[in-house]
Amino acid sequence: MHNRSKILNLLSFSAAVFVLTALAVSLFSCRGEEVIYPTIGTHVTDEVQNGGLYILCEGNMGSNKARLDYMNLKTGDYYSNWYGSRNPKQLKELGDVGNDIQQYGGRLYAVINCSHKVEVMDLQARHIGQIEISNCRYMAFKNDKLYVSAYVGSVATPELVGSVFEIDTATLQITREVKVGHQPDELVVMDDKLYVVNSGGYLMNQYDSTVSVIDLQTFQEIEQIPVGLNPTRIRKDSQNRLWICCQGNLSESEANRDYAVVILDNTNRKTLLSVQASAISIQGSTAYIIDQIAGSLRAFSTIDLTEQPTPIDITAFEHPYGLLATPQALYVTDAKNYVSSGVLHCFSYDGVERWRAHTGDIPGHLCRVTGEYTLSPDTTKPDPQPTHSPYLTRVYEYLPAMGQFVNELPKYEEGDDAQSMCRKCEVSMTNNAGGLISLGGWGGYITFGFDHPVQNKEGRDIQILGNAFYMSGSTEYGSSEPGIVLVSLDENHNGLPDDTWYELKACLYDDPQTQHSYSRTYIRAGDTLQNPFHKQPYYPQWLTADEYTLTGAKLPPQSVTISGQTVQRILEYGYVDNKPNKDTEGTSFDISWAVDESGNPVTLDSIHFVRVYNAVDETFEQTGELSTEIRGAIDLHMQ
Amino acid sequence: MANRRFLIVILALCAGSVYAFSDTELDSLYRDFRIDEVEITARALTKDVIVPQTLKGEELQRLNALSVADALRYFSGVQLKDYGGVGGIKTINVRSMGSQHTAVYYNGVQIGNAQNGQVDLGRFSLDNMEEIQLYNGQKSDIFQSAREFGAAGSVYMTTRKPYFKENERVHVRGKMRFGSFALANPNVGVDVKLTDALSMTIDAEYIYSDGKYPFRYKRVLPSGETAYDTTAVRQNGDVNAVRAELGLHHYYSNTGFWRVHGYNYWSERGVPGAIVNNVWRNGERLWDRSSFVQGIWQDEWFRRWSTRVVAKYANDYTHYINYDQRLLPSDNQYWQQEVYVSWANKVQLFRWWDVSLAYDYQFNALRKDEKITGVTDERFYRHSHWLSAATAFNIKEYLRLQASVLMTAITNHHSPITNSPKVTPGVFVSFRPYPAIDLSLNAFYKQSYRYPTFNDLYYTDLGNANLRPELARQHSVSLEYKANSQWLTANVALSYYYNRVTDKIIAYPKGQQFRWTMLNLGEVKINGVDAKADMSFFLPLRFVLRTRLNYTYQTAIDVTNPNDTYFGHQIPYIPRHSGSAVVGLEWESKRGDHYGFNYSFIYVGERYSQQENIIYNYVQPWYTHDLSMYGEWCLANSRELIANSQKVWLKANIEINNLLGQDYEVIQNYPMPKQNVRCTIAVKY
Repeated sequence: MHNRSKILNLLSFSAAVFVLTALAVSLFSCRGEEVIYPTIGTHVTDEVQNGGLYILCEGNMGSNKARLDYMNLKTGDYYSNWYGSRNPKQLKELGDVGNDIQQYGGRLYAVINCSHKVEVMDLQARHIGQIEISNCRYMAFKNDKLYVSAYVGSVATPELVGSVFEIDTATLQITREVKVGHQPDELVVMDDKLYVVNSGGYLMNQYDSTVSVIDLQTFQEIEQIPVGLNPTRIRKDSQNRLWICCQGNLSESEANRDYAVVILDNTNRKTLLSVQASAISIQGSTAYIIDQIAGSLRAFSTIDLTEQPTPIDITAFEHPYGLLATPQALYVTDAKNYVSSGVLHCFSYDGVERWRAHTGDIPGHLCRVTGEYTLSPDTTKPDPQPTHSPYLTRVYEYLPAMGQFVNELPKYEEGDDAQSMCRKCEVSMTNNAGGLISLGGWGGYITFGFDHPVQNKEGRDIQILGNAFYMSGSTEYGSSEPGIVLVSLDENHNGLPDDTWYELKACLYDDPQTQHSYSRTYIRAGDTLQNPFHKQPYYPQWLTADEYTLTGAKLPPQSVTISGQTVQRILEYGYVDNKPNKDTEGTSFDISWAVDESGNPVTLDSIHFVRVYNAVDETFEQTGELSTEIRGAIDLHMQ
Repeated sequence: MANRRFLIVILALCAGSVYAFSDTELDSLYRDFRIDEVEITARALTKDVIVPQTLKGEELQRLNALSVADALRYFSGVQLKDYGGVGGIKTINVRSMGSQHTAVYYNGVQIGNAQNGQVDLGRFSLDNMEEIQLYNGQKSDIFQSAREFGAAGSVYMTTRKPYFKENERVHVRGKMRFGSFALANPNVGVDVKLTDALSMTIDAEYIYSDGKYPFRYKRVLPSGETAYDTTAVRQNGDVNAVRAELGLHHYYSNTGFWRVHGYNYWSERGVPGAIVNNVWRNGERLWDRSSFVQGIWQDEWFRRWSTRVVAKYANDYTHYINYDQRLLPSDNQYWQQEVYVSWANKVQLFRWWDVSLAYDYQFNALRKDEKITGVTDERFYRHSHWLSAATAFNIKEYLRLQASVLMTAITNHHSPITNSPKVTPGVFVSFRPYPAIDLSLNAFYKQSYRYPTFNDLYYTDLGNANLRPELARQHSVSLEYKANSQWLTANVALSYYYNRVTDKIIAYPKGQQFRWTMLNLGEVKINGVDAKADMSFFLPLRFVLRTRLNYTYQTAIDVTNPNDTYFGHQIPYIPRHSGSAVVGLEWESKRGDHYGFNYSFIYVGERYSQQENIIYNYVQPWYTHDLSMYGEWCLANSRELIANSQKVWLKANIEINNLLGQDYEVIQNYPMPKQNVRCTIAVKY
């Protein structure tokens, strides 16, 4: 009997265990369908800027967690895994280890190192195609060609040298390949030559230390310039010098490491800055550098190479990693411990942190774009509307009159022609890049357009940005360098600005002192008036002719001297570079103002082309001539 | 006779007695059977205070498992890391403290890997295995090598020991296994009785698999529409391995024996690598040779002083080549040598009080050649000393207690700093309130260090010679109940544990560029509950129903730094819930043939692949259903062997694994095989 009760006890006990286990089992969650990783939007700032920013997070090798995030600067929303929802059908997502991202023309290109490919996307990051390149590293662009450095060539060599590939961006096919040094990393194009740094990163203790120079015509390596041990980054500055970041021997202790930034000018003269630069970004005449050993951000003038104080403080970062300096803000990332989310910080140049956002793992590469996209409710379908850029997308003509900023804004380089100068203007101004273009003296002009016709609607239609500003304490005087606006319709549908031009009638149109048919001839031989601050030639160097004549209207002189300063009267309305950009109305134009040659109003429903020319002819000893500058243009109806 | 002996063992183990058998007692047990089959000389004081989880004998063979790693999935508190396929690396992590805290013993001697501190349990075949035990903390037996007091979790693998009935001189086993992915796995074993006291075992095995298994990646949109759905074949996952072992067992007296074991393993394998976008095959190859000779001698005098001497020499070679021309074309070779000696003593002061003292010494050497980085003939050495003192005493039948202290002193040449010797205590208590019922309340506290490996210290460009050892502190309480009757045996247990790992050695990016180093940075708090119930029901008509249930709940929380985004998050690859269930039904015919059916279910709950518990790191639960069926037939008494009544047995087994073909990953981007089949035919006499 005793035995039996023992068995009963036992049975009840085991039953209890079973029940408990069954309960535990019911807690188990089941496996469902694997749903693609979502795109998650987070509002991170109320500040409004234009355009957007792509953040390529590298992800750790083998994790397949390269992630492309997108920050909409207009709405202040940060979207993690943006690529995922744009391309849910991409097998195994974006890939393994993102290494570079850049925009060229209307496309976005991303190097995915351990997926051995360059991912080609539209500006919304929708997949267009991919280019297979083994162990690809970085990119550069020129004349519709993409250049990609890769640690291995199409045929592996026992010497372990890498290659640079040339890809036709129209066909996404590799067209040429050239062998360079060991483990080539960043590369830049300058003067029809490609400069690529050979890091030798695979050869611990025997790093490479050269920059390979490749002639883009022949696509041959023409020389290897010794620079410093283990160079990984190369950037071009405003003075056409190359900044090369050499990391030194990483096996050495930090104190003994021979890192340096080597600055190479076009005569191959080297200047050495004893600075550790793991990341570099050059904006205007300042090179910003992340010094990982010091854990700080440093700034150097590209003019005289001196260190400049910067109020931006990143010393609290765990591992500062990615860096992008733009005209409006400086973006710098903290990669934390490299195996968890990083943080993107946005600083204004006064050192104030404007906002921050959590990124994916190892946010390393940043790319500023014009597009402002939001997650459409159904993320799987492309947006029904084709997206047009609100910003000017195309520059057709650029012919400045002789002036102190000609050949500088944009920079003329040996071999440039009228067409390549137009491309440079595009680089400066498309996508709201905010670069400055100078029209030189009186009559200099630029012709640009949008990727769509601009509608003539109620109120102002187009904003054209310049660099005018008010004198302090005044809105009547300031720096005003007025340019006249002409518009045109593509009447013959050939896509070219060869149709009738209509002037937008502005406040001085009917002023008796305005000369409506003025003309001036500029002669190469006359290029002798040099301002001590600007000693480059003033005659457009890409012109083959030795003289050219410009015609148009000339406004009466507007300059006055106030307390010893030469300033201009701010005109009431209708001129480019006359009022500060933040005055949207004052810098905007209404297509309804259009008049024909005889001054009669014309009705245009829309326009395709815009031309701006400098309408003042005034020169001063100290400040040089008044010249209209423009920074870009916006279709106000697209906003 | 065989059955009777088995029954005696079962009864001895389960009869509510205080007897249980550790490695050494089993030795004496077998010896005693060999001599007169009855007398059991094990004594209460030397047994384990806390009984380990055990899988042995036929139960082990019945599981759907090819390697020791597969079998360990059926233990609670264990997480297996499995990179997939026959050749994929398989390591275990006991109670979330990290795989390098787990010591692995082969016939009582630790298998080391001074280079990376991990033992690939996928390389140990079950064919030759008698028993696998898992101890949380240490084996709670004070008569053991000093080093055995040093691990946070211990896996003991014991190979089959020969035992002969009267008149038997030779046992032979032959086995052939075929299966999916071109698996071919022949195995031969011979046991020879050389003299009454001396026997020899030989075991050899070859294993081949092409590793080409299909796997599938499917993702859907939130709407349910398929985003992508691709099936591909795993490449470069082939393995070719040969294992050969020789054992000599000499039981020269009632108390003394020595054993020598030689082990050799050669393999060539592909390292299949992670499946990532645009990469479907990798070019890494690995060649291994692992050899060791180990000897144990043990004796006892005056029934009071027991001594044991262990010696081992191991020699390992690894050659790694990356043929993938897209990547750094590595060609690395590593040679490791290990010399180990141990002397353990135990003295019985009174019948209720034992003390022990042991000293171990080990020498490790690593030589490496790395062609591409230009490292040639770089050598590293390590000397390790362990000194342990332990005591065990009983208070009647109610309380058993063991306490030990271990002093560890490890010096690495090339290391600028000397870590001072570390002293770690361990206390194990078992309380039985009602001696008539086999219900025990057990508890232990233990500290242990995980020392940095050669890779942690000196790995090219990554090692940090200034590392301190990582400390694990374990607190555990458990309740265990065992019962048996004519109809049923049961063993149910419930444990709660709290562990804390500090000074965790982790890879951390340092200063400049993308470079890692090893740092003592990291602290983890682990709380867990393990529940298990093993039951056998002896049904009418010679049916036996066996069930084995395990369930583990654990939180393993990163508490390194409150400023980290992952502070308070579950550490990578540790599920909160995991468990297994095995149900087997066996039938024995009147003439002694066996037929059986086994079903097992393994569940591993949701996990995260990285420190942050965010959706981008989320890994779905996985669970597999495995089936096996087997039959064992007594063919006939072979003519020659009739004289000694030795029978020839034929056994056939068919296993279907991952029956429902779940597409799962244990480690992210390392897909596991879908449904696969194995068939085994074995003959033995």
